[in-house]
Amino acid sequence: MGQSNTIRILDGSTFVVCEDTGDIEATPSEPTGLFSLDTRFLSTWVLTVNGERLNSLSFDDLQYFESRFFLVPGMATHYVDAKLSIIRERAVGGSFREQLTILNHDEKPVDLEIRMDAAADFADLFQVKDEILNKKGENYTEVESDKLRLGYRRGNFRRETVISSSSAARYDSKGFAYTVHLEPNEQWNASINVETHAVGPGGRDLRIGLRVHGGGERLALQHDLEQWIADAPKVNSEHGRVASTYRRSLIDLAALRFSPLSLGGATLPAAGLPWFMTMFGRDSILTCLQTLPFTPQLSKTTLRILASLQGSRFDDFRDEDPGRILHEMRYGETAAFEEQPHSPYYGSVDATPLFVVLLDEYERWTGDVALVKELEQESRAALRWIDNYADLVGNGYIWYERRNTDTGLENQCWKDSWDSISYADGTLPPFPRATCEVQGYAYDAKVRAARMARAFWDDPEFADQLEREAAQLKERFNRDWWVDDGQYYALALDPNGRQCDVLSSNIGHLLWSGIVDAERAEKIADHLVGPRLFSGWGVRTLAEGEARYNPIGYHNGTIWPFDNSFIAWGLRRYGFAEESACIANGILDAATYFNGRLPEAFGGYPRELTKFPVEYPTACSPQAWSTGTPLLLLRTMLGLEPHEGHLAVEPRLPMGMGRIEVLDIPGRWGRVDAFARGRLDLNNLAD
Amino acid sequence: MVDATTRFFEDLDRRGYEPLLAKTSGTLRIDLHEGAQTRHWLLRIDHGRLNVSQEDREADTVIGTSPTLFEDIASGREHGLAALLRGDMTVSGDARLVVQMERIFPGSPDARGPRRRFAGEVH
Repeated sequence: MGQSNTIRILDGSTFVVCEDTGDIEATPSEPTGLFSLDTRFLSTWVLTVNGERLNSLSFDDLQYFESRFFLVPGMATHYVDAKLSIIRERAVGGSFREQLTILNHDEKPVDLEIRMDAAADFADLFQVKDEILNKKGENYTEVESDKLRLGYRRGNFRRETVISSSSAARYDSKGFAYTVHLEPNEQWNASINVETHAVGPGGRDLRIGLRVHGGGERLALQHDLEQWIADAPKVNSEHGRVASTYRRSLIDLAALRFSPLSLGGATLPAAGLPWFMTMFGRDSILTCLQTLPFTPQLSKTTLRILASLQGSRFDDFRDEDPGRILHEMRYGETAAFEEQPHSPYYGSVDATPLFVVLLDEYERWTGDVALVKELEQESRAALRWIDNYADLVGNGYIWYERRNTDTGLENQCWKDSWDSISYADGTLPPFPRATCEVQGYAYDAKVRAARMARAFWDDPEFADQLEREAAQLKERFNRDWWVDDGQYYALALDPNGRQCDVLSSNIGHLLWSGIVDAERAEKIADHLVGPRLFSGWGVRTLAEGEARYNPIGYHNGTIWPFDNSFIAWGLRRYGFAEESACIANGILDAATYFNGRLPEAFGGYPRELTKFPVEYPTACSPQAWSTGTPLLLLRTMLGLEPHEGHLAVEPRLPMGMGRIEVLDIPGRWGRVDAFARGRLDLNNLAD
Repeated sequence: MVDATTRFFEDLDRRGYEPLLAKTSGTLRIDLHEGAQTRHWLLRIDHGRLNVSQEDREADTVIGTSPTLFEDIASGREHGLAALLRGDMTVSGDARLVVQMERIFPGSPDARGPRRRFAGEVH
């Protein structure tokens, strides 16, 4: 899975990526380390015994916040008769703690020199895949009798790693060591603590007063995880695999919870481990939409934090406008010194309408009217942004063109790689660009805001206006974006109104938003499960046969589980239950090849060709919206829908999935159970 | 000529209400250190209603920085959250208040904002 032989543990935005021995030796190609606040606090962490490196017999990821390594001295060729065992147990939670245990299995006593090499390069997360050269600040090392302090200083920016040990160690500038005498069958223990500090001028830590979820201690974290699982609905499935995928997702979601500095300990889903353990507007919102029926509390905190950081002025470096919802927040050196714009960066065009969509969907499930009232001004500001600041061409659509031309994002939609938006001949359109799914989100945002305005904001005139605007947008969209030759919607428009007339997965999101004309929906559904888009596992980002199609092209042919979950939702919305189940079935099948943990993306190769889903080589797993995917697919297959204060259940499960039950679904109805049995014959759908 | 910091606070006091702070309540003290001297600004926020004074009173949140940097922040030439990450501005107490407060600082005087392709600026 992911990179070979790397182990990851985390708590919030503090995480460790290491080799299967527990060692850390960071290089640009193997960016291992201990990270916190988007900064690498350990880039070397290598254990030796009598000068020898250790070899891994086995390791366990016990929980997302702890792991255990069983080691013996020497390399694989000559450890056969090892007389020593070394166990490293480590946990992340507030600080990084490692428990070292060494056992002497020999009948003779041994004398050991146990050494840990330690170093910290304090690389910003944005730099870890480069050679770390010419950092603008200075590193320092302070060797004390009971600790080793590694530090980095650039002006008032200070980050420190402080290493200490429970049993007396000798510290030097490159690590620390123990001299140990062990009798036969005797064991030795040491507990090492590594603290990461973001030191302000008064010596105060930037994070003082902050709680991470569970309080950071191992037992508290364990308890917190158990509570998290206990609070969520239970899923049982006849064949076990859906239930185990669900459980994997639930645990990964717990791991991905992230507590921003400004929220006083409340959590929202970060985008993904390891490189995206931070707030992303789009990823956090879409993950919340996926997980609402199961973990609604995530939505509440996400909406609140995004509202509290909503754009309030024009800032060209951060692509900030009044009312705009942020794209990404970072805490590292490059953000601090404005070498990167993430403090926060606002360059996405979908997070703002999706914010309104999530607020409405959240209320429909939870009945939390208070939050809808609390966020009325922010919702209105988001809607104003859509009309006033996003329409860069002046024709009633959301467009994007970055103002930060150095470090801003070119493509500000979810397909954000440089070549994701193209014409059918493969050439790239000029800016500004408008992608189709974002217009759908804007339509949905207006329709949903109209409901909220009428029901909760006591503003029926605003509601009428929003509904008029939504209807006009839908009409306009169906005129300007429909590709007559292919009978689908264009991926994007260029500023001259020319269509990027490729067939893409984005049309599935249009169903979810409801902007598709009823008489065209069947055409769209046919495309989505047709041979050009559907691989047998899922819907490709770009259809086979397009100029830029590549089965392992990041946004030009791979299959993204999260994308498919929204497509399945959209199909279900328009009544295409079988097509929806077909996609759900393919993606959940694929999940079993990844032990229930869906990757960010996998190859668009036909299922009958590869027989298994080929993972896209990505460094990010688990990823929040992949983790949320099985949850949304469950919702979709079971037809869970809030309806006039109760939960409607209308299951359409494929045959072979057997019986599935979801118990204790929380919502305005209290707790409700849903049961389903696989009856749909998907073979009728094929060809 | 009055400095940007004074203008910023006097303007808040005159307006007496800031909709962006409608959900915010608390007291925030800004300590501007210069050598041995510290100048204080105390901002009381009550659901968006504002009251400004120069008292050195206990507050829920205390921001410490140099008068020069604050002058730049108050005029939109520097960014508060970046300054905070850099350690050029310190915070003690409730960090949420700072994030709320930060939104009412002006944008850069040089910001262009979004531009319509065919019809000039949007705003």
